[in-house]
Amino acid sequence: MIGARILTAGLIFSLCLGFRDFFESNPVSHVLIQLPLLAWCGALLAQPAINLEAEWNRGGVVALLIALFGITFWMLPRSIDAALFSPAMEVAKFISLPLCVGAPLAIGWARAHPLLRGFLKAQAVSMLGVMAFLYTHAPVRICNAYLVDDQLRLGYAFLFTAIAVVVLWVAPLFVGSREFHQMRSRSVEAG
Amino acid sequence: MTDRACEPQPGAVKFTMLLAGIVLLLMMVFGLIMRAAQGNLIELDPTLFYQIMTAHGAGMVGTAGLTGAAILWFFVGRYVPLLPGVYYAFLGLFLFGVILILGGIFIGGYGGGWTFLFPLPAMSGGAWDAGAAASFMVGYTAIGVGFLLYYLEVGRKLIVAYGGIGGALAWPLAFGGGRQEDAPPPTVVAAMATTIFNTIGIVVGAAVLVCSLVNLLAPGFAVDALLAKNMIYFFGHVFINASIYMAVIAVYEIIPQYTGREWKTTRVFAIAWSAVLLFVMAVYPHHLLQDTVMPGWALVMGQVISYLSGIPLLAVTAFSLLVYLRGSKVRWDLASALLVLGVAGWSVGSIPAIIDAMISVNKLMHNTQWVPGHFHIYLILGEVAMSFGFMAWLVKEARKTAMTGLDRAAFAVYLLGGAGFTIMFLVSGALSVPRRWAVHAPEWYLQDRVATGFAMLVILGTLFFVATYARGLMRRRAD
Amino acid sequence: MKALLAALAVALAGPAFLWKATDGFQALTAEDARRVAAMRDRPMVPDIRLRAMSGEVIGLPSADRKVTMVEFIYTTCPTICQSAGTDLARVRDGLVEKGLGDEVRILSISFDPETDGPHQLSAYGESHGADGRIWTITRPDVDALPRLLRAFGVVVIPDRFGGYQHNAALHVVDPQGRLSAILDTDDITGALGAAKRASQ
Repeated sequence: MIGARILTAGLIFSLCLGFRDFFESNPVSHVLIQLPLLAWCGALLAQPAINLEAEWNRGGVVALLIALFGITFWMLPRSIDAALFSPAMEVAKFISLPLCVGAPLAIGWARAHPLLRGFLKAQAVSMLGVMAFLYTHAPVRICNAYLVDDQLRLGYAFLFTAIAVVVLWVAPLFVGSREFHQMRSRSVEAG
Repeated sequence: MTDRACEPQPGAVKFTMLLAGIVLLLMMVFGLIMRAAQGNLIELDPTLFYQIMTAHGAGMVGTAGLTGAAILWFFVGRYVPLLPGVYYAFLGLFLFGVILILGGIFIGGYGGGWTFLFPLPAMSGGAWDAGAAASFMVGYTAIGVGFLLYYLEVGRKLIVAYGGIGGALAWPLAFGGGRQEDAPPPTVVAAMATTIFNTIGIVVGAAVLVCSLVNLLAPGFAVDALLAKNMIYFFGHVFINASIYMAVIAVYEIIPQYTGREWKTTRVFAIAWSAVLLFVMAVYPHHLLQDTVMPGWALVMGQVISYLSGIPLLAVTAFSLLVYLRGSKVRWDLASALLVLGVAGWSVGSIPAIIDAMISVNKLMHNTQWVPGHFHIYLILGEVAMSFGFMAWLVKEARKTAMTGLDRAAFAVYLLGGAGFTIMFLVSGALSVPRRWAVHAPEWYLQDRVATGFAMLVILGTLFFVATYARGLMRRRAD
Repeated sequence: MKALLAALAVALAGPAFLWKATDGFQALTAEDARRVAAMRDRPMVPDIRLRAMSGEVIGLPSADRKVTMVEFIYTTCPTICQSAGTDLARVRDGLVEKGLGDEVRILSISFDPETDGPHQLSAYGESHGADGRIWTITRPDVDALPRLLRAFGVVVIPDRFGGYQHNAALHVVDPQGRLSAILDTDDITGALGAAKRASQ
């Protein structure tokens, strides 16, 4: 099981590295595919550490904070440009997204209170919305490395991602959990 | 399936209601000042008038939301365990937001109305700077975050305990073969519905707030004005309606104590709340009937759904209330009287609303005092009356007699004041007196002055309700 | 307690890191970053020969110790360069008005020297009123171009329509050859102020 995870992570990582030019040729695949894939590598590799009952990470707060700052850094248009023009930043991207975003997110999420999870989901949706607004309404070119039309496309991609994420997270809420229905059918049988 | 063990945090809820009572009183005084200024009874600088109007609007809407939220929290806690910390966080963020809003208005001079209609906050013509508008809007955002936390907790617990959103909305009963005995109680249905539509409303409101804030700080980021207006009125409409839909839970929970008959989730009740859930959100274009650039279908939808939305409300709550009251010997006291008044005011208030939502009428009436007439009925005689009823009920046991002569008099004064005050708005509206004008023409002074008198009656009644409540709280503590 | 301390440490270190990464929250984009860096570091610009539209060869750090204002263009540009050209004419007029005409020169440098021959440069100069005295249109050698663009932090990318998109700005180089300010081309007042500061 662990082997499969490492294998998958390695595969994704080499995909990101091997098709670097393809992913980075436009901002949509760079920001919304390559960066999340790299973070996912970290999340996969962090699985064994998820049940770590470390006292310093009570409630997953510390890990989530680390991930939050990591995400914030990689949301800066400046960082995206830097990754394209400076090899050192490109290396930092391939290392920091798995280690400082994906892994802490997985470790923190596993221990986060359901309320905190809900709050973070709402936060994620609203940040996607804000990014969509900023990229579709910016009066200037935000990334020197990408065309204005691509910037607009990235804005709409943020919007569609936000909508998709909302549907993904809200749809299951309409039907109750499996535990609830099991309990319900048991009580009907008993009654 | 439910354990009616306890209400969560009665102390925090009682404190909230005390705070709300005091703020309501203050907001009513603001209203009195504005009406007196319009009637030329006092001198009031128009700049200050608009600041007071902004504070009055934001304060009333906010307090209505706060009281509704306190009522919902109190009664939902009877069915599911709610985290106390969330309520404190909600209250803390709310108060933090209030400070920023008041600072933005009375220190920064923001007077752009509670609706922060884009691009007004950014274009004050020198009346206030961007910082004041930003403070006001960040205050709103803080309150929005508090509400979001609050609804996350309520929604999450209801979804777990009642089998998803569908279960909590009693969909098996409404649209399937579910039995009435299995359906969740009315409080749960109402709480689930308001949680959904108010969360959506607040998210939309937060989105337009953030865009406006960005525009304020970096004017290059222009917002589409029509889209912004749609989002703002969607948020505003949903939020103020949610406050009433939350407060009505007090009726579902308290009135049965007087009638001795439980308020039941029937099939009609369940269907009606699901309809309300949709209607509340779909009806908002009736606020934009004067925007000729709006697509025609949206405006028609606004008008048609305005007609329809009266039905679930009247059928479900007002009609059931009548049925419950008729069949039982009710021992009237301040709490029951105010709660029944709340439902009556809510129903009556919907009539001028529906009239104004007719496109042909709206063309003439929308910018007149007809509209404040309608929403002041909703609030003074509706939501606020329910909140006062809830407050009276909270301290009921501390009082010896059911309804004293003084209670009766205060209730009558409040009812008379509220009815007279709102009728003056409606009369002025019918006579085409514009709304939101700091200075009135002498021809309009009469209604303004009469309304000022009625406003004093409302304040007198409110003073009594709040004082009685405060005394009740203290007596209770002494016991 | 341990968790609280750790959270506090991260909550402090995170913003500090972001503060560092954005030059004190001043620069969220690469464009702002290079402007902040120019003001702070005043990097030397490379010593480069340019061929002006008149045919004469001139040096980038000015031989006669003048302040040099630089913008990058390509003459076939249908949009930004054209409006930037109008802005530069206003900057030039402002310099004359302020009596800075002898201390400051303006160079429009083409980053497309293969297309922009002497003829194209002259035509561009003529259409924007650059007569070669204060303001002239120039081009570098093809092999010096990458070094030049890198030094100024200018990024040129093809726009899929045969043209280019690039970060248009006005760069102020002081008499010692240091890049001392980068401004929007339509910030006329700012440009004049920067020119005056650099000339002192």
